[in-house]
Amino acid sequence: MVKSLEARLARLALKGDQSAFAEIVSLYQDKLYHMAYRMLYNRQEAEDVVQDTFLRVYKNLDRYDDTMKFSTWIYRIATNLCIDRLRKRKPSYSLDAESSEHEGLDGYSMIPSDNRTPESETLLSETQRIIHQAIETLPAKYKSVMVLRYLQDMSLQEIGDVLDMPVTTIKTRVHRGREFLRKKLEHKL
Amino acid sequence: MNCNVAIVWMHDYLDGELPRDDMAALKTHLIACPSCRSRFEQLQQTEAMAFGMVGSGMDAVLDEKQSALLTERIMSQLPAKRAGKPNAFAAWIRKHPAVTVAAVFAFVMLGSFTTMWEQNTQLSVSGTDLAQVVIEGNTVTIPEGARVKGDLTIENGKANVLGDVDGNVTVIDGQLYQASTAHIAGQTKEIDQALDWFWYKVTQSISKLAY
Repeated sequence: MVKSLEARLARLALKGDQSAFAEIVSLYQDKLYHMAYRMLYNRQEAEDVVQDTFLRVYKNLDRYDDTMKFSTWIYRIATNLCIDRLRKRKPSYSLDAESSEHEGLDGYSMIPSDNRTPESETLLSETQRIIHQAIETLPAKYKSVMVLRYLQDMSLQEIGDVLDMPVTTIKTRVHRGREFLRKKLEHKL
Repeated sequence: MNCNVAIVWMHDYLDGELPRDDMAALKTHLIACPSCRSRFEQLQQTEAMAFGMVGSGMDAVLDEKQSALLTERIMSQLPAKRAGKPNAFAAWIRKHPAVTVAAVFAFVMLGSFTTMWEQNTQLSVSGTDLAQVVIEGNTVTIPEGARVKGDLTIENGKANVLGDVDGNVTVIDGQLYQASTAHIAGQTKEIDQALDWFWYKVTQSISKLAY
């Protein structure tokens, strides 16, 4: 059996070859960041997730099972980290509610600044903004499925492998998630 | 066609999983049903927009400089050196759980037997008829002219047989002296080895169970 490029790199990295690991990082870093950003909508957190993912990959290289696709494995680690973060955010506080501890401050001022000027957002087309908002408001369990499907262009089977769920469940979630997006976009289409 | 079925099929179609025959049936329904048609159009547009978000959005994609910075950060936080294969043993254990369990079990059993073996340094005498047996220190004496009925077992002591024993005499971890006047009707047995002792314990407990 011909081993995938990633599997070979993983083997080299396991033997202590740092440049092989750097190769893996360069293959996946941007894809993982994009996915994490769409899940978390926060630049700092997305970068942290990417960093944690690679750290875990590095530490667990010896446990990587060749029978699984490397991408499935790395996405599984990354989505789990994202889902953990989304869960930890709960209970969610309303952004408009005034904080009891810091008088005069509401939730917006508590959000870590994205060091992005508002103008940059206006560069996005209106439709892009709408779809981003719609996906942002998806409940976490649909969000992970939808992000993997639309952003990473994964098949239902692959998504099932990444999230370790039966394909039938993934299918149901894609259908519901799509209906959810449709309703959000209904008035704007 | 029922509209509810049509909606499920629409999703299957967008997933690329609708069989060809059903596609035709869905098409006929869409031509006939305007509400399903508009729903299908909306879903298609949603799908197209969702797929279109790839590469869009400022924060969502890292530019080259940011990407390089992140790579640097990732590489610098890695533990300095993988210690080669430090856990070959641990990996082997993880791969063979049954063998590991068996080995641990054997180890624990061996440990408990050896402690039992070593702890047993107290003299103990057992038998059916001990009235005529004389015990001094760790020496068990059956005086001349005395007659012990049944078996006699002595652990951790010396047996000094001068009289008669009707049954078997077993000495564990000790010595057996027989005077010329002694008469033992049954068998005599001395057990010193751990294996013999173990076997004796096992047969004893089995025969105890049997009666």
